[in-house]
Amino acid sequence: MNDTAVIQTPDDAATASEAPRKKFRQRGRITKWLSITWIVFIVFTAIGASTLPYVKHSCDQFANEDLCSTHLKTNPLLAERPPTWAFFSETTRPVVRDAPERAGFFGTDTNGFDIFSRTMFGARNSLLIGAMSIVFGILIGGSLGLIAGYVGKRVDRVIDTITNIFLAFPALLLAIFIVGFFDSGTTTEAKSRSIVPIIIALSILSIPPITRLVRANTMVYAQREFVLAARSLGAKNTRIIIREILPNVLPAMVTFAITGMAVLIVAEGALAYLGLSVSAPTPTWGAMIFGGQAKLETAWWISIMPSIVLFLTVLCINLLGDVLSEKFRIREAIG
Amino acid sequence: MRFFLQRFMQLIIVVFAVTFTVSLALGAIPNAEERIIAAKGSGAINDEEKNKLLDSLNLREPAIVQYGYFVKDFVTFDWGTTFNGNQPISTSVSDGLKISLRLMIYGQLGALLIAIPVALAAAYRSGGVFDRISTTTSFGFISMPNYVLATILGLFFTVRWQWFPAISTDIGFFTSPWQHFRNFFLPTIVLALPLGATYMRLLRADLVNTLQSDFITTARAKGVSTPRILFGHALRPSLFSLVTAAAVNVGALVGGSVVVETAFNLNGLGRRTVLGIFASEFRLVQITVVVLALVYVFINFLTDILYGFLDPRVRAGRKLS
Repeated sequence: MNDTAVIQTPDDAATASEAPRKKFRQRGRITKWLSITWIVFIVFTAIGASTLPYVKHSCDQFANEDLCSTHLKTNPLLAERPPTWAFFSETTRPVVRDAPERAGFFGTDTNGFDIFSRTMFGARNSLLIGAMSIVFGILIGGSLGLIAGYVGKRVDRVIDTITNIFLAFPALLLAIFIVGFFDSGTTTEAKSRSIVPIIIALSILSIPPITRLVRANTMVYAQREFVLAARSLGAKNTRIIIREILPNVLPAMVTFAITGMAVLIVAEGALAYLGLSVSAPTPTWGAMIFGGQAKLETAWWISIMPSIVLFLTVLCINLLGDVLSEKFRIREAIG
Repeated sequence: MRFFLQRFMQLIIVVFAVTFTVSLALGAIPNAEERIIAAKGSGAINDEEKNKLLDSLNLREPAIVQYGYFVKDFVTFDWGTTFNGNQPISTSVSDGLKISLRLMIYGQLGALLIAIPVALAAAYRSGGVFDRISTTTSFGFISMPNYVLATILGLFFTVRWQWFPAISTDIGFFTSPWQHFRNFFLPTIVLALPLGATYMRLLRADLVNTLQSDFITTARAKGVSTPRILFGHALRPSLFSLVTAAAVNVGALVGGSVVVETAFNLNGLGRRTVLGIFASEFRLVQITVVVLALVYVFINFLTDILYGFLDPRVRAGRKLS
């Protein structure tokens, strides 16, 4: 690249910022493709977690499944093993006879399960929860916002008030409250929490900001000439909303959905970290991070490896969201 | 005045909705009575006590009566005791609130202390090396969930190097300032870094705009020194969106404090809420959730009012709509 900006005085902020901006854009393209690659990789492994060859089934290190399950029950000696490349981490205890001291790219956890496989299975749950919640959020929040923004008047006021009420709760607290209160089972019996309440809670979390965003956008477009034209041609309200307004609001919605998904994945992680997400044997990233917390001293990889994957995924989704919002010139959404 | 009244009406509606939902949630729980009895302790309770307990929760009344009792109890601080162990909820809440509020205030201050100098330095030479490094880093911190940050910092600072205690204890500032600092430093950093990154980006963008305006050029032409230009001239007109963000992010702070309290074993209100959920201590959870939500709502209300005083445009703008 030809760097002409060097000649200019650094004091002149207006012109000096031009050249770096160009540079930003150049590098932006690379980071964009890198993040797309990472997301495709994560989605791909998440979908194919149970069939892909490099995602080892947890019991692969044993001759057969029976041996594996009996081993898990009777032998708590299956110590965590560091990743193969982590030469600086000492292997702590002798593990199962003939088992290598270091295993897998991500190491193994306390039960001797390969963390890479678990992370990929966790990706399946975390991504599924994030995607489902944001889809529900878009469907419900989007239609509420469209109706509120288009119809206006009393409907608008009611929907806006409800939105404000939900936004008045601190987000995570609301999720904790919903999940915590609606899990079934008494304290005595083991609680098993399925994916459903988590999705419900996170959808409820995502609806109000989407409603607010879509409502604001719809109000702008509802006063434009093309809507008036459609109406004077005799189009019905539903048709105007779906065919005239929705396509205009869609870019903002999609951009928000992408960053919103990152927020929801993080929120699910937080719930799991607090022990309020899908129950134990099902891995999600947050639960894995929390699970390794007690072992941080001897086996850092148990929680650090899923942390890195989670961080990279959120980072990439955010980068993509940034690229998109710059493309559609949408202000950073609050929420 | 009308703006104030409007905001006040909104506050009333929100407070009503929050308390109403929370009070009725108890009735919506599947097998609530069963779980409350289970939480009370196995078999150690006779029928008479059981009825007394359930009566005190007004579970069998119609919804609106339940709500009335809930509000009455809440306002008169008659918050009852925990099901298990009969600890008074009010002391539990006040102890927890002390820690949580302290964390939130420290987190907010820490975030501002990080954001303002970094943003000033970055905006002063926008496009420079420091600007690019800090902008990229801040994007990283925005994308970093606080529990991940807590885990990584915990690994290095408490496990490897043992600079800070892994389990923070609530030690008052006046009993031992050094211990207080040691116990609250990591939780504060975990809260402050992601938040500070958000603030820094907002403030930087505003500052870059402000630094391009004519009055800055004038000041520079007059020979005003750089620190004076930055702090005296540029900072104040750029603070507006930072103030907004600081108010909006109180919600994030409440959520963040829950996670941080869990990560560092601080017995704050958030952690008490989560533990309460595990133990089916619904009464405690109701109270803590309402208290936290009210703190949040009131802070938002106050900032909105402050806004109206600080910036006449807000008042005027609301009046028109």
